[in-house]
Amino acid sequence: MKLDMKKQNVTKSQKVKVGRKPLWKKVADNKILLLMCLPAIIFFIVFFYMPMPGAYLAFTNFNYKKGIFGSEFVGFDNFKFLINSGKLWMLTRNTILYNLAFIIFGNILQIIIAILLNEVRNKFFKKVSQTIMFLPYFISAVLVGLLAFNILNYDYGFLNTVIKQFGGAPLKVYQTAKMWPVIIVIAQLWQQTGYGSIVYFAAICGIDAEMVEASQVDGANIIQKIRYIILPSLKPTAIILFLFAIGGIMKGNFGLFYNLVGSSNATLWPYTDIVETFVYRTLMNNFNFPYASAVGLYQSIFGFVVVMVSNWLVRKADKDYALF
Amino acid sequence: MRIKKDRLTIVVHTVSYLFIGLFALACLVPFVLMISGSFSNETLINTTGLGLLPKGFSLAAYNLIFKSAKQLIGAYAVTIIMTFAGTIVGLFIIAMTGYALQRKDFPFRNYISFFIYFTTLFSAGLAPTYLWITKYLGLKGSYLAVFLQLLMTPWLIVLMKNFAKSVPYEITESGKIDGAGDFKIFTSLILPMLKPALATIGLFLALGYWNEWYNSMLYLSSSSEIHYYPLQYHLYRIINQAAALKNTMAGANVTVGSLPTLTLKLATAVLATGPIIFLYPFVQKYFISGITVGAVKG
Amino acid sequence: MRKLFKKVFSVILAGTMAISLAACGGKSADSTNTDNSGSKSDATVTQGAAGAIDTSEHVKVKFVVLGDRPTNGRLEAMLEQLNPILTEKVNAELELQYVEWADWQTQYNLLLASGDDTIDLITTATDWLDAWPNVKKGSFLPLTEDMLKTYAPQTYAQVPAANWDACKYDGSIYFIPEDNYTQYTNHGMFYRGDWAKEFGLTTISSFEDLGKYFQGVVDNKTGVIPWDVSGTAANGNALAGGYIESKTSNIVIEGVPIGLSTLFYGASASDPYTVVSPYMDGTTFEDFAVMMKSWADAGYWREDVLNYDGDSREEFYAGTSGADQHHTQTFVSQIRPNMDTKQPGSEAQMFSFSEPSKNLVKTSITHGACAIGANSKHPERALMVYDLLRNDATCYKLYNYGIENTDYVVTSDGKLARPEGWDSSTDGLGTNFWCGRNDNLELTDSTWYAGKDDIYANYDTYAINYPYGKFVFDNSNVSTQIAAMADVCANYIPRIAFGKVDDPKAMVAEFRQALKDAGYDDVLKEVQNQLNASK
Repeated sequence: MKLDMKKQNVTKSQKVKVGRKPLWKKVADNKILLLMCLPAIIFFIVFFYMPMPGAYLAFTNFNYKKGIFGSEFVGFDNFKFLINSGKLWMLTRNTILYNLAFIIFGNILQIIIAILLNEVRNKFFKKVSQTIMFLPYFISAVLVGLLAFNILNYDYGFLNTVIKQFGGAPLKVYQTAKMWPVIIVIAQLWQQTGYGSIVYFAAICGIDAEMVEASQVDGANIIQKIRYIILPSLKPTAIILFLFAIGGIMKGNFGLFYNLVGSSNATLWPYTDIVETFVYRTLMNNFNFPYASAVGLYQSIFGFVVVMVSNWLVRKADKDYALF
Repeated sequence: MRIKKDRLTIVVHTVSYLFIGLFALACLVPFVLMISGSFSNETLINTTGLGLLPKGFSLAAYNLIFKSAKQLIGAYAVTIIMTFAGTIVGLFIIAMTGYALQRKDFPFRNYISFFIYFTTLFSAGLAPTYLWITKYLGLKGSYLAVFLQLLMTPWLIVLMKNFAKSVPYEITESGKIDGAGDFKIFTSLILPMLKPALATIGLFLALGYWNEWYNSMLYLSSSSEIHYYPLQYHLYRIINQAAALKNTMAGANVTVGSLPTLTLKLATAVLATGPIIFLYPFVQKYFISGITVGAVKG
Repeated sequence: MRKLFKKVFSVILAGTMAISLAACGGKSADSTNTDNSGSKSDATVTQGAAGAIDTSEHVKVKFVVLGDRPTNGRLEAMLEQLNPILTEKVNAELELQYVEWADWQTQYNLLLASGDDTIDLITTATDWLDAWPNVKKGSFLPLTEDMLKTYAPQTYAQVPAANWDACKYDGSIYFIPEDNYTQYTNHGMFYRGDWAKEFGLTTISSFEDLGKYFQGVVDNKTGVIPWDVSGTAANGNALAGGYIESKTSNIVIEGVPIGLSTLFYGASASDPYTVVSPYMDGTTFEDFAVMMKSWADAGYWREDVLNYDGDSREEFYAGTSGADQHHTQTFVSQIRPNMDTKQPGSEAQMFSFSEPSKNLVKTSITHGACAIGANSKHPERALMVYDLLRNDATCYKLYNYGIENTDYVVTSDGKLARPEGWDSSTDGLGTNFWCGRNDNLELTDSTWYAGKDDIYANYDTYAINYPYGKFVFDNSNVSTQIAAMADVCANYIPRIAFGKVDDPKAMVAEFRQALKDAGYDDVLKEVQNQLNASK
């Protein structure tokens, strides 16, 4: 019994011809809706669009007195430091792979948690466990790094204590770079899953209860219920989350990486360095706005291209699910 | 109508309890480590690490905090007020915008959606934004610099739009037939149906305010007019003060008095984070199924 | 459709631009110069100099200082007493703006970048606050000798011409040096004298001795880590730099930071204009790497030292770390006094890295300096306030120590002491006046280590003045190479310094090759050329 969710909302009356109306008429007809959007539009203009021309900073030799537009134009000079370091490929690869892992594993885990949580009948257990799963989100990155050190370190770490009890040889985790992609992904999932699963949980709660009951009357078992009703209803949400996340594919959760890996343990960097940690280290003593801006621009353009492509692909598959 | 629980359902339910239980435990344990660490003796913690139970029980960290309790209380006050006000205002704007943008008969919706979404792809960067807000908007040292910027995000608007889509068009239609304008339809007919959405997005918005420290650091920190910082920035200062000095040349060159100890950092974190967990259960009840198609016969 | 989109977009854009232009014109960010709080007396300035200085307008002078704003009310109480005095003398009030430690670099640079016109006095430093790059970026107001003579006459008279020269760029003076304050900020290791004696060492005066001390701790003191250091890049660089200082006569050239590292040195005091780098050439750095690896293997610090976040100072106080590292000023003002209280009988000592080689450069006079904001509205009054803070006995004592008998007391022999129950961590004044301290007015702190004068006397026998005061490095030709080198240094130096390598000599060779690949030779040439030109 497959339900086609999207068809439900489009009734005949909605198929209004949005044809060759002059602009002013369109505005007049929809003025209330436009006004409803106005606060948001103003917000974004003021806080996002107005400063945007300032990104020009990335192409200048910024002088405080002359301001952004008065400073000398230097073309792509500020990007050179990133390119010449020879590390751009490694950093880009790491950044993208980690983000993909976060997005894919993260969303899968969040969906599983949301679905399973929905199946839990005991209200108390539901409330308590969801609240608890929420907690890691609040723990700042610095503390996460501290906690991780307590668990993973060689001398007194919890992990090694357990290993030693079972007679094994303790692991030098902080000296073994290959373990770290796993560790970082786990840390990220640990921190974000509780928070991220809320969206999916709310979406599940929004499913029409009558539909679910009807399916059960029709003889669907629990697995079929999940597969044919719940999962499809989560599809729009998952796609939106995916499209949003993918725009930030070149950006990183700087706090997490920096605090877990540290600023001096270079043994781990080949597997854990992302664009932002690299930039932070090189700029640490010569705080350089143009360089930082150049990197930001690189990340933005990269993300922009990826999103446009993804959105276009999604649009081709199903117009309704695209972001725009 | 009672549906009998069959084997498969029982299995799935058991798996649910187990999986959720384990995951919740994994989330809880580090928090317990933090709490017990905050009640422990500093030296023991440094030599033997954190444990599930306090090592060398000591209230030293909390005593130190309560000596300057005024700061912490002020931070709470500021954060609570900002969160409350910001969530209400922001939620209303977001709901309004989200509803309008999913109306298929609204010709401008795609442009406006893109307009809003585009800001997640390109940002001016730290320096231009900072200059704009301090120099041209003159908001440095004002709580508004923080409050206004957190009112909404593109992500929340799109999310709301998505939730609003599931409210059947028939409801809007019936409102129109009754002669109501779009705004009236929104406030009296649509809003009540969006309870889970409002709860979810309201929660995210509130969390955004509660957890905010970055804007506070940029615009509030070195101002002499601001006496109380938002909570998470207050915490950030204490935790990062030592790290900042350790990691830069400043640490090599200046003589600074005693820096916050590990137990102090943990205690401050517990006090800043703990109370929020009491809020969530209240919000959760809004997540129960709210939408029934039965309201309007299509 | 696309045309429509463009039209709508441009209408919105045009509309907003119009609005924003109107807003920009009218609004001026908080201007405080017409605030008439406090008594307004039209006192004329009593300091000499030609012409009468107009102080009829009451002015608030804002002073940017580094550090965390104190919350114990002592600062406010002190200002309540200081400001009436300042008002009476120059019709001005002092207001402090703190750049707090958490994220100080971002904040400090943003503050300067924003060209804030409300800031008047700015704490700066040529070694850690990037004074010269900021000069070039236009954040400081150029000062003329006339201005200084007129508005800060006492300071002007106190600073010798040669020192003013060291603060000049392109003919203008850009900041006032803290040049009349004796402090030694040379680095070294603090250790416990009592334990050293136990291990058969009378004093520690070389890295080899230090190694024996650490071994003694490993062998004899259970539960104590010889040096429970946090392996940050900053500490790694300090250790490497310290080793070089103790084994060679090379002199660090400030002003060419490569990330957190300093690679370029002058050959020696007698040959300061030949640029060398012990990191690149010679065996010193290799020996260092080998020694550090043996120390790491012997367990002188933790296995996971590079990620350890503990505070070795607190542990030194608590007796769980046998050593700590920092500079002389910290030793005399904090380490020794605290150790005498917390670990009585420990007789904490300092092994100065300069001791074996007698290679010591005095603290640069611009290690602390005071600049005027480029857009300051009252530079003259700011200078006058600074002059008072630095040279007027009452203002100096208030600003640096607080209110007499509440924040501090003066002992019968004229030294500084604290009232009963005063605790520096909770009762400190926190004005952090690191750009105008003055030996003439400084009170000797009775809590400081009594042996301080002996230490200084010893240093005075071989310390030299910083030879590169006039050298202002312009990195614009090689900034890309420097950034690349910064990454290489961040990558290798901490690991080498803390012995986290398999083969130290091979690692050093790899490090050197990586530096070369990053453009070391270009930068070396550039530094040498500019140094020659500055002679």
